[in-house]
Amino acid sequence: MGSIKHQPRAGISTVDRLAASEKLQELFAVRLQSERVHFVTLSAALARAEESPAGIFDDLTFRAHRLKGAAATFDFANLAAAAGALEQASFAAATSHAAHTDPDVWEALVALVEMLGAFEDTARHESDIDATAHAD
Amino acid sequence: MSLKPHASVLDDPSADLHDTILSHHLNSTVQCRVLIVDDDDLVRARLAALLRMSNFEVEVAGSGEEALKILSNSPCQIVLTDWQMPDMDGLALCRYVRTACYESYIYVVMLTVRDAKQDVLTGLAAGADDYVFKGTPVEEILARIEIGRRITHVEQSLRTSNRENRRLAITDPLTSAHNLRYLMKNLPKELARCRRYGHPLAILSCDIDDFKQVNDRYGHQAGDLVLQAFVARSTSCLRKTSDWLARIGGDEFVIVLPETTLAGATSVAKKLRRQLAAQPVATNTGMVAFMASVGVTGFEPENVPSGPAAVDELLHTADQNLYASKRGEINGLD
Repeated sequence: MGSIKHQPRAGISTVDRLAASEKLQELFAVRLQSERVHFVTLSAALARAEESPAGIFDDLTFRAHRLKGAAATFDFANLAAAAGALEQASFAAATSHAAHTDPDVWEALVALVEMLGAFEDTARHESDIDATAHAD
Repeated sequence: MSLKPHASVLDDPSADLHDTILSHHLNSTVQCRVLIVDDDDLVRARLAALLRMSNFEVEVAGSGEEALKILSNSPCQIVLTDWQMPDMDGLALCRYVRTACYESYIYVVMLTVRDAKQDVLTGLAAGADDYVFKGTPVEEILARIEIGRRITHVEQSLRTSNRENRRLAITDPLTSAHNLRYLMKNLPKELARCRRYGHPLAILSCDIDDFKQVNDRYGHQAGDLVLQAFVARSTSCLRKTSDWLARIGGDEFVIVLPETTLAGATSVAKKLRRQLAAQPVATNTGMVAFMASVGVTGFEPENVPSGPAAVDELLHTADQNLYASKRGEINGLD
């Protein structure tokens, strides 16, 4: 006798796909939190790197480039622009052997970390609203 | 500041343009597999979700090297690749794809945040068919990939049609046997192989007896059926891997038997004639019994004709043997 278990139809419905897309947005929000931690860590390392900041400039360039691509793909244009500004500044600093206090890098880095913090606050706020709405 | 991204197809399904584009994509019936290459797993997942929603089959790879492995195992019509990736980057991947030999054309779209004019030129020079910036609206990315679907579909259609044309050019449409063009192209190769490896070669030159009378008495349709029956029965007597048959005239055929001695070829000819005699062909105008005369020509490697006139010489000898067969001097085939 054949199984009487429910067999889902082959293929993915549009609703499932939209749900999957929302799930991806959530995962991206989690990624942003982790990116903020990384950039804060790198900024602390840069502040201490009086002798040889080049490696940190490279790390910043790589990480900012990656974030720029992901943010653009997820349609966060402002975030992509902020990450792009840091990528450019840290690449220029690495190329010109700039000091660890390079003002362009710090300006872009602070702006990006603030923006990531603001995203985190917004996410927390939206989550609180959702929780309240469910409680009602 | 909001976590909500800018408007996109997913967020604003009511927009007319979005609806039109989406419905166009959803109605696309041409199967098309896209390989997404990006070292960021979230970016890969996002693009994969969008493309699946647009009825594309999707493969994903985290690097250029992984992409090449996938391409060598399963054909993809479109590659959507990032530029900067560890190890093999998007440019190197493009260059490799353009020099490698794949079954069909691969349409490459470079999707990257590198937006300088020089970057675009470098990407296109590396072999990308299109260059799109990350952050471009989703509907534009999909529209550009749709171009890739159209182009690869047209290319595949042309390829299929060329293959069919090549087949038809060497095939007799009535019997599906090879034709004279095939014979003239491939017989010299058989001769060369025979000389090179020191193997014998035999030729059966066949002609259906009194074929004109078959046509006159039973009609041309019945004549066509006899020709088809001749090919079917002859083929059943041949080795599938090496022997072959060509129709070179109305009721004239040549059977090429590589690595076969005169004695072996005589035995095939006898078997063929037995097959032909076994039963008449059923036609709309009655049962038609038929027989063919067969001239058997065998060459030992040292006697195989060579030089530019070798094929003509060989066919001439085969013809002479056929006429001898018709005159009753038939190599003891009966």
